[in-house]
Amino acid sequence: MFIERPRFSCPLGGAMATVNALPGAVAILHASPGCGGNSNVAIMAAAGNMGSGYCGGASVSASGIGEKQIVFGGSDRLVEQLETSGEVLEADLFVVITGCTAEIIGDDINAILAEHRAKNLGGPPVIHASGAGFKGNSYFGYDSVLQSLFKQFLVPGRTRVKGKVNLWGIPPALDVFWEGNLIELRRVLEGIGLKVNSFFTKEDTLAEVKAAGEAELNLVVSPVNGVAAAEVFKHIHGVDYLVTDLPIGAKATAEFLQTVAQRLGLDQAAVEGFLHREKEVYYHYFSRLSDSYADLDLQRYAVIVADTTYALALSRFAENELGWLPKLVAVTDPCEESARPAILQRFEQGLSGHTQAVVFETDTSQISRRLFERWPKPDGTKYYQAFSPAFVIGSRLDKEFADSIGAGHLSVAYPISERVVLNRGYAGYRGGLHLIEDLFSVVLSNR
Amino acid sequence: MSYLHLKVPPTRDVRLKPCNAFGGKLCGLVDGQKQGCLTGNGRTFAQTTGCQLTLSMTMAASIPNTVVIYHGPVGCGASSLGLTGQAKLSQLARGNVDAVGRVWMSTNLDETDVILGGEAKLEAAILEAERRFRPHAIFIGNTCVPAIIGDDIDNVATRLQDRIHARIIPLHCEGFKTRFVATAYDIVYHGILRYLLNGEEERQPVLRDEAKEREYEVRSKRTVNLLNVGSMGYVDEVELVRILNAIGLEANVYPCFTSPEKFVKVKDAALSISICATHDDYFVEHLKEHYGVPYVLNTIPIGTDNVRLWLLDIADFFGLRQEALKVIEAEEAELNRALEPLRAMFRGKTAFVSTGEIRAGAQACMLERDLGIKVVGIRAHHYDQFGEIVFDHFKGREDVTINVAANQPFEQVNLLRRLKPDLYLGHGNSNVWAAKQGVPVLPIYGPNNSYLGYKGVFEVATRLARLLSNPKYFNTLGETAKLPYREAWYGEDPYRYIQHTEDAI
Repeated sequence: MFIERPRFSCPLGGAMATVNALPGAVAILHASPGCGGNSNVAIMAAAGNMGSGYCGGASVSASGIGEKQIVFGGSDRLVEQLETSGEVLEADLFVVITGCTAEIIGDDINAILAEHRAKNLGGPPVIHASGAGFKGNSYFGYDSVLQSLFKQFLVPGRTRVKGKVNLWGIPPALDVFWEGNLIELRRVLEGIGLKVNSFFTKEDTLAEVKAAGEAELNLVVSPVNGVAAAEVFKHIHGVDYLVTDLPIGAKATAEFLQTVAQRLGLDQAAVEGFLHREKEVYYHYFSRLSDSYADLDLQRYAVIVADTTYALALSRFAENELGWLPKLVAVTDPCEESARPAILQRFEQGLSGHTQAVVFETDTSQISRRLFERWPKPDGTKYYQAFSPAFVIGSRLDKEFADSIGAGHLSVAYPISERVVLNRGYAGYRGGLHLIEDLFSVVLSNR
Repeated sequence: MSYLHLKVPPTRDVRLKPCNAFGGKLCGLVDGQKQGCLTGNGRTFAQTTGCQLTLSMTMAASIPNTVVIYHGPVGCGASSLGLTGQAKLSQLARGNVDAVGRVWMSTNLDETDVILGGEAKLEAAILEAERRFRPHAIFIGNTCVPAIIGDDIDNVATRLQDRIHARIIPLHCEGFKTRFVATAYDIVYHGILRYLLNGEEERQPVLRDEAKEREYEVRSKRTVNLLNVGSMGYVDEVELVRILNAIGLEANVYPCFTSPEKFVKVKDAALSISICATHDDYFVEHLKEHYGVPYVLNTIPIGTDNVRLWLLDIADFFGLRQEALKVIEAEEAELNRALEPLRAMFRGKTAFVSTGEIRAGAQACMLERDLGIKVVGIRAHHYDQFGEIVFDHFKGREDVTINVAANQPFEQVNLLRRLKPDLYLGHGNSNVWAAKQGVPVLPIYGPNNSYLGYKGVFEVATRLARLLSNPKYFNTLGETAKLPYREAWYGEDPYRYIQHTEDAI
């Protein structure tokens, strides 16, 4: 089915953003000349102006295959580009990402890489990740790079180290707050005594990524992103995984940490001690808003428009911490019919009236229609109950809709072109406080 | 040269045989191009460029009341995600109060479609675009995948045209087909010529107003088409229209930001005015051939020299040379008075310029002639037969480094390390790499700033003066940012990976 204004790009775009976020890693595209340039706009401008990073943007190495290679094959061009990339670029790891054209013509990437490795012993490792556009969307690209790392880069056969966990499920760029989220989740997991490998933050190193096979457990903080990669990890390295929602705010984060602690059999008293301290600090700040909330009636009807991971996390946060009323929760990434019951069940755990509120809707212009299927349209009567006061927590694409219903609007989900995001995160305790600051700053912006 | 009978216009590679890889001095570039020696140049190390699809669809989507459909995998429209707000701003600036920003769809082709074909999805998308938005036109951008598997988008368009009100305009802008992103301009103009101008007649009123018709006829003789493919901001449109008005002409701006139902009037104008041959040569030549509208195409009105050249070309056509000279004299005098206090800041400064060939040549000339900044290097995205005239000022200059490259920041960082300019004026995507080397950057074009005409000279001058008075952001970047290039690379010949082949990559 076609999609109107989809909120993601292709596997190549997702893979590129993922590789760019990996410390010391450099992407080499084996694709049409403009695939990188096109995807770059989606990464650099639409992900909170995160920019080109170390070797993104126009610096991305690319074979740029054209008509000639589509007819005669692109292998020679890739061999040449691999060779010269090693001469020009400073990399600890090269990741070849194949696009649509390369995968349709069927260049034998494995053979090319094997030959390249044999010729360049001692050079930086080179792995391959599929990025063909027709295989899915950018979430798939994230998963694809993770799978390639687990299959081709991690050292196999490492012995388990107790208390070590890998953390993923937060795709760089597609989660605009990825780095802040990972840093905060690292912090709280370390707080309950774990050693955390989160791959993509400034605190991670490629050496640690390589040793990820020695973890006791893999934590995937998304019911969809990176779950397939977790299966691959389990199959190859024998490490089990735990899938959770993305925790935002004190309640969700405490629940998250308790689940992890229970699964790993951590010392209950120590964990509770940490949770208690964090809770104290969190509600110390949380209560600062109480005067304004009470004086100005800051409860809102909420519309949440986001991908599965954020839709779950934001609707729970809005309902449980803000005391808002999520009346429409639109899940915007494609979700197979067969996967929907499991997702809806997750909504049930944190959201009252979820069966009425949650819809799977990929098309931007249809969000408005979906709301007024659930809320009566103005009917001209004196006592029409307006959908007001309301707030839309969505992406940049939902601003016009928010304006049309007179609601406040904050972009939290991708794409976000109108905000600058450096290390801000919304996950965890500190993230929950950031989200409160940002949401109510919009509400009170005319004060 | 008409290509309008073709479904697919030729690429720039074939039609103009431009050069996309060169390093050296200007004479080598100009002579090499004339002798056809540079066409086959390529690179054995390359970095990603733009895609002609991205540019085609950005141009098409800027036309109000349209929907653009990317026929391909879902990521081919990805650039739209970053451009939503700007599309709306540009439309609002031109008084379109109903601006909604870019409306796009993707046919979202998957693996099954690669095997079975994607035409059914395209058909569904077109019908739904009509139902949801009732647009005036629907542009279909064909991408690599359907082109390889053989979807016939023209057939789908023809089949559906009778069923829907919107004009369906198929654009063949598959990324793998060209090394020159500028092919996009030809593709979109081709679509406009074939589907919006051809066959679309203005409805005649039942009661004809002869006085009005006669007035229109008379005014048409002094009305020109001013062409904007999207890179000209509204402030620039206003400035150029002001200058044209000053010599007694009226101007309508096409095609970007102008509602498609107004396009029929393009045929009635006395003259088409291009501000850039890279943009418009295909369109103006076809307008001349099919509708008898002559054109001027020589240069872009950036800097007093090129504004003069541009305006005199236009004035000569209307026999208004004396009037134009008067306007030029007065404008230049006024501008010079305004520039005088700023020039002291520019004394002894050097600059590096990087963008499309026409803008690069003219902007570099403006820096030297109007501001007294010495240009040490010029990069052009590509170079073709239209470049010589705008590089005229630099003829014989051995002290100016010339590089032809679409982005390719690896060559640029090497050059900048050697040339150490005080200022960099460049195109998006290349700018950041100069910034990270610590060179203060002024974007060389932008939809919200002024660059063209007399006003543009002054505005660029004030912005450069502002930049020079506090370059600390860029200094800090230069001290702290890490570039991905090996230290050894900076010692190599910057053009080491440019290769000459008979048959380019």
